[in-house]
Amino acid sequence: MPPSDPDCLVIGAGPAGLAAAHALVNTGVGSILVVDRDETPGGLPQYCRHLGFGWGYTHRLETGPAFTRRLLGAIQHPSLRLLARTTATAIRPGPAVDLLGPECGVITLHPRAVIVATGIRERPRAARLVPGSRPERGVMTTGQLQQMVARGVPVPGRRLAVVGTEHVAFSVLLTARHAGQRVVAMVEPDERVASYAALAAIVRHAARIPIHVGTRVVNILGGRQVEGIEIDGPSGPARIPCDSVVFSGDFIPDSVLAQASGIAIDPRTRGPVVDQHGRTDMPGVFAAGNVLRAVESSGFSAIEGARVGTCVAAYLGGSATAWCAASRPVEAAPDFDYVVPQRWTTDDGRLPAIPFSLRVRTTGAPIPIAVKIGDRVVWSDAARRRRPHRRIGIPQGPIARAAGDATCIEVCTTL
Amino acid sequence: MTGAYDVAIIGAGVVGCAIARAFSRYRLKVVVLEADTDIGNGASKGNSAVLSTASDTPSGTLEQQLVKRGHALYRAEAPSLGLPIENLGSLTIAWNETEAETVRAMQLAMIADGFHEAELVGPDAIYRRIPALAPGAVAAVWEAEEAIVDPFSTPLAYALDALANGVDIRCSTPVTGAHFEDRQWHLATPGGEFVASLAINCGGLYGDRVDALGGNHEIKIKPRRGEFIVFDKSARGLLDVILKPVANSLGRGILLTPTVFGNILVGPTAEQVDDPDDWRCTTEGLAALQAAAKRTLPGLLAHEITTTYCGLRPGSDRPEYRIVVRGDKRWITVAGIRSTGLSAALGIAEYIVAQAMDGLVRADQKAEIVSIRVPALWERGPRPARDPTCVGRDARYGEVICHCEQVSHGEIEDALASPLPPRSLKALKRRTRAMFGRCQGFFCGARVTAMLDRSLSPEPRHAAE
Repeated sequence: MPPSDPDCLVIGAGPAGLAAAHALVNTGVGSILVVDRDETPGGLPQYCRHLGFGWGYTHRLETGPAFTRRLLGAIQHPSLRLLARTTATAIRPGPAVDLLGPECGVITLHPRAVIVATGIRERPRAARLVPGSRPERGVMTTGQLQQMVARGVPVPGRRLAVVGTEHVAFSVLLTARHAGQRVVAMVEPDERVASYAALAAIVRHAARIPIHVGTRVVNILGGRQVEGIEIDGPSGPARIPCDSVVFSGDFIPDSVLAQASGIAIDPRTRGPVVDQHGRTDMPGVFAAGNVLRAVESSGFSAIEGARVGTCVAAYLGGSATAWCAASRPVEAAPDFDYVVPQRWTTDDGRLPAIPFSLRVRTTGAPIPIAVKIGDRVVWSDAARRRRPHRRIGIPQGPIARAAGDATCIEVCTTL
Repeated sequence: MTGAYDVAIIGAGVVGCAIARAFSRYRLKVVVLEADTDIGNGASKGNSAVLSTASDTPSGTLEQQLVKRGHALYRAEAPSLGLPIENLGSLTIAWNETEAETVRAMQLAMIADGFHEAELVGPDAIYRRIPALAPGAVAAVWEAEEAIVDPFSTPLAYALDALANGVDIRCSTPVTGAHFEDRQWHLATPGGEFVASLAINCGGLYGDRVDALGGNHEIKIKPRRGEFIVFDKSARGLLDVILKPVANSLGRGILLTPTVFGNILVGPTAEQVDDPDDWRCTTEGLAALQAAAKRTLPGLLAHEITTTYCGLRPGSDRPEYRIVVRGDKRWITVAGIRSTGLSAALGIAEYIVAQAMDGLVRADQKAEIVSIRVPALWERGPRPARDPTCVGRDARYGEVICHCEQVSHGEIEDALASPLPPRSLKALKRRTRAMFGRCQGFFCGARVTAMLDRSLSPEPRHAAE
């Protein structure tokens, strides 16, 4: 049966979308439709069979599929319908959403509210401008590798080289073992490992996998199949024979739907611009999770989804407004990569707010951080470590208390 | 092995397929022998997808004549094959007074060559057409006739048409030897011998090697490697015209053009290589393309890169087409097609058939021609997943598998079940666009690979997915 217009349409059934749906169910929203374009709901964690998912949201140490099952179990409710294999192709003011799927066909729905939770993807090899040959198999992202292993699609050869050292790169080690593959090297262009130093130490010393930092892949060797990679770094050029190369990390929001729909996009995050309640500049359209920025953990995304879900419920109940043009911009100094949320609205103080995500661009000496409203420093930290892949949290209390009539909230690097 | 053929075409690139199609209009037994697992997997796969007018090829040459004719035939025949033509027009931009001189001379030469539409335009018209263009353009030649086309579906359309009209197309069938006996060619392949009374070498990048099998050694193929960067569809708004630099001694230069798939393409570089299998992208090449993008359309660099690729143009040791008809040996060489094969193919095919009919083969035209259409792959095309009726009739078209290019399950299944099924991932990508988009398989790679592998397995389970 084709779906009818719901109170809220959630686009994307990953951690953020499912947690948002759970919040909507819990607050008694009348009808909720969750759509996901994949064969099965759950988003990326469903393909990650190792531990580490949902922490912070569930306070449990679970595998991706277990976390997914927990999220899906929690939304079983007569008011909620979940449609997999269903793509949202456009969002228009209203809001109106065009859907395409084997069950619903080509239809337009007019939900009262929409939550965009379309998540992230990794930049592929080409986007990283890695030269060399282009074999048709054996060069892939972690996401593709995980799906191939989960679906039983053979990965060429037995030796895998991994590019990148974000957390997800280490998950490749576990996925590879599952697939009967051996990781022969990890290559990181930055001067240091992006993930935890302890993890890197274990991999180097216990698993005896070399990690080449400050090193770029300058060539992919082979014709029809991958034969190896050429790297160049502090210890000079080298050749690493391998059968597959996995380009891990370097995530980017999958915000194409929002962007193509005319929702304001932050050029720094490449995700939709939102205020602290997840409101985008299209009235009635909210966003949550890693579509806002790359990248936070599944647990963090779920927390964010739950909070935005609660705000949407308030909006549907008439106790919160749509996007307010009078909201203030939150601006991060150029030294920062980005800040989320990018807007702050003062009139809905009772609603839960999504946590601040502030990131630096490069590794380096510690920097001071100050949040200024007008001429007043409302919060500061004299020396914060600069690690590009770690979120810098900013407490919301001082900002909420001081935002008042200020025109702008600035995140600066001077006290 | 299957009786003698009238015509054997060696090589199923865009030119070989077009020639096969042209011969299929006659009561002739025609075979196409392709070494690769797929058609169009050599020089034909990596080009700038521009339907050129030939206004920039040397005056009075066979190349200019055949590109001109090929262009006209493409405009006449492509629509009925389901192939798109986007009439964007091109601007050849002069950035300084010296180049402006060249551009003015170019325009006069074009008019003299019969390209009456070539028009000289000034900065106002240029910037009206491309507001995002870098400052400093002084003049340009406007050619309304230049267009963009689908480079992958074009050889496929010719091949499917030829197939539907009785041509035998054999992929994975490299010709390893040839001998001429009793006015017939005996072509050795791993799958057995093919006998034909006329052999046509359309070997592209291997044109010299194929020619050598037939005992001809005068042509040397000199591949010119060209690298390309494809920018994300989000950049499409920056450019709605084919943007060409003024050609210099190094070649035609790096052009910037939209593609029919909705991306922006930057390329090619031009580098002479010896190895016809050298499909690498290089650090230097990619840097040169980025520099060209920055210089010409600075806004482009803010957009994501979807992919990079490399093409090899089958040039030869002389800067011209090398079409040689050897009546006594019943061997026609079609080599040195440089970078104009896509635009010229139908013109070349018409020319070759006329040459063959002039004493080499004799046949009547068929009374009835079977027509075919290729699936619409272009961005603004009538894709099944956008058609409520189509999705309503068959739910497989409602399930999108490749999200970046919005390719449905049904379209992939159709390609796998087509008369010329893909035998590799790259072939499947060219047939459907699955995995060709910005995520390059992050989301769909595993599923698409699984579908292909199932179709390649010895006992295919039909429509099991």
